[in-house]
Amino acid sequence: MISTDSYHILPFNFIRIKNNEVLINELGDMIVVPNGTACRLVNKEKVDEELFKSLYANFFITNNYFSPMMDVYAARLREKKSFLDNFTALHIFVLTLRCNQNCVYCQASSQDEVSKHCSMSFHTMDKAVELMFKSRSPFLTMEFQGGEPTLEPKLIRYGIERAEEINKTENRKIDYVLCTNSINLTEEIMDICQTYHVLISTSLDGPEWLHNKNRGKKDSHEKVVAGITKARTLLGHDQVSALMTASEEGVLYPIEIVDEYERLGFNSIFLRALNPYGLARDNSDWDEYTDKFIEFYKKALDHIIELNLMGRFFIEEFAAIILRKMLTPFCTGFVDLQSPAGIINSVLVYNYDGYVYASDESRMLAEYNDYTFRLGSVDDKYEDIVCGQKARELGKIWCNETIAGCADCPIRVYCGADPVRNYSTQGDAYGFRPNSWLCKKNKAIIEYLIELIVMRHNEVMPIFKSWLV
Amino acid sequence: MEIKVDRNIYSDSCISKVVYLLSKNYSIERSIENDYEILTIIQKTDEEFDINEFWDKMNDFKLREIINTETKDIKTILYAKAFGEFDNFDENDFD
Repeated sequence: MISTDSYHILPFNFIRIKNNEVLINELGDMIVVPNGTACRLVNKEKVDEELFKSLYANFFITNNYFSPMMDVYAARLREKKSFLDNFTALHIFVLTLRCNQNCVYCQASSQDEVSKHCSMSFHTMDKAVELMFKSRSPFLTMEFQGGEPTLEPKLIRYGIERAEEINKTENRKIDYVLCTNSINLTEEIMDICQTYHVLISTSLDGPEWLHNKNRGKKDSHEKVVAGITKARTLLGHDQVSALMTASEEGVLYPIEIVDEYERLGFNSIFLRALNPYGLARDNSDWDEYTDKFIEFYKKALDHIIELNLMGRFFIEEFAAIILRKMLTPFCTGFVDLQSPAGIINSVLVYNYDGYVYASDESRMLAEYNDYTFRLGSVDDKYEDIVCGQKARELGKIWCNETIAGCADCPIRVYCGADPVRNYSTQGDAYGFRPNSWLCKKNKAIIEYLIELIVMRHNEVMPIFKSWLV
Repeated sequence: MEIKVDRNIYSDSCISKVVYLLSKNYSIERSIENDYEILTIIQKTDEEFDINEFWDKMNDFKLREIINTETKDIKTILYAKAFGEFDNFDENDFD
């Protein structure tokens, strides 16, 4: 029997959005309440019955700390961190730095197509695939990156065949992903993709003039679209996805970028900000860029919501990831918004240079002779790589539950920890939240999503729920 | 600018968290006089110091502190239940 007369509070935090208070608990459940409710709950004031029921059902208050409901709470808490259960699932293979484009924002320090000594050896591939199978995860994703990985078709085929061979006894579920600019989808590449059901993840920055300007080529857009069409025809429409990077120029054109994706028949877009690595590191003013990106994101998201209201099913993927954290009991596999951080726990990178890195960004730092996040060689023992000294040091600072500026943040449960980004932008892996661009961007986007849910609930909730599938 | 904060009302931890949050735009020197903490605020940027926002933050962090203190034990138990291999807690384990 639930008594509304007395209660205990359960762990929660609160944020103020447009004259409302939003209470958020450790499970990521949130509830919109009148301003001052958090204070009333702390003072154990009587609240009206309907509010009491909502707070009780959503684990903000309880009558009894030892009720069976606390077991349900604990089970849900475990589910929210279940990405840890099976350890590393995403394995990135950086085949080469060679590339056939000249992107203005290149984060990977790509080299000219004819460059030598910047591609992975077959020995490295062998060892890297063996290391991948050391992870106990029943689901493995083998993702090929570059440079432009399609310039190394023999290596792709060799890596996949090696994985298939080992998997005859391992019986894992393996997804193969090829991250390509789609310029060089040759017969050989398409044959590999068809044979092994390789997903194509391509990049398209928006309308023709913008994309070509970003890529430093006059015909890049035309070739990418031709590549996408070819891949869709041979592999199936849903085997091809695309993401964009908002360059300094791109942030000025949110509507045009979304419309281009819609025109080309995509059902989603991932609105991705520049990362401060490679050529993008030279961006003139990151504070200004972050502000512009936030405005860009909000305008693009508003436009996407309008498209959905007009009956077109179209997802913004970053929002969808955060909404899954807000509106479902499940965790997401997105490595950039995890705590403990995605590095090592969810992703490992096998670089062309024969070394293993904690994340994609970690290997990008290595191109500037910074090997802070180099975990070891592919020839090292797996345990020494994932449980070595560097991994253990990172483990002290990869939970946002415990780091300054994050631990008390009301939206912590929707965000993640990123020591590599902290290090690359602030020179310190622990990081300093008050002037972190990443914190500013994530906070603005998460708060905007909450604001939409609060202010336009009936309009946006059917749309947001449809994105959770 | 100087602000006097009563340490009988706001804890060191509460003040520290607000100072941390504001430290992008302001240098804040802290000193103790009897029961009061004196915060001397110097602008680092053009951003004017908003005294109302400061006290709003102070009160919010004080409230968060009360919630954290009151729920610390149950939070520990919930995390232990969720991630430990034992689930036989009872009232005797609760301080």
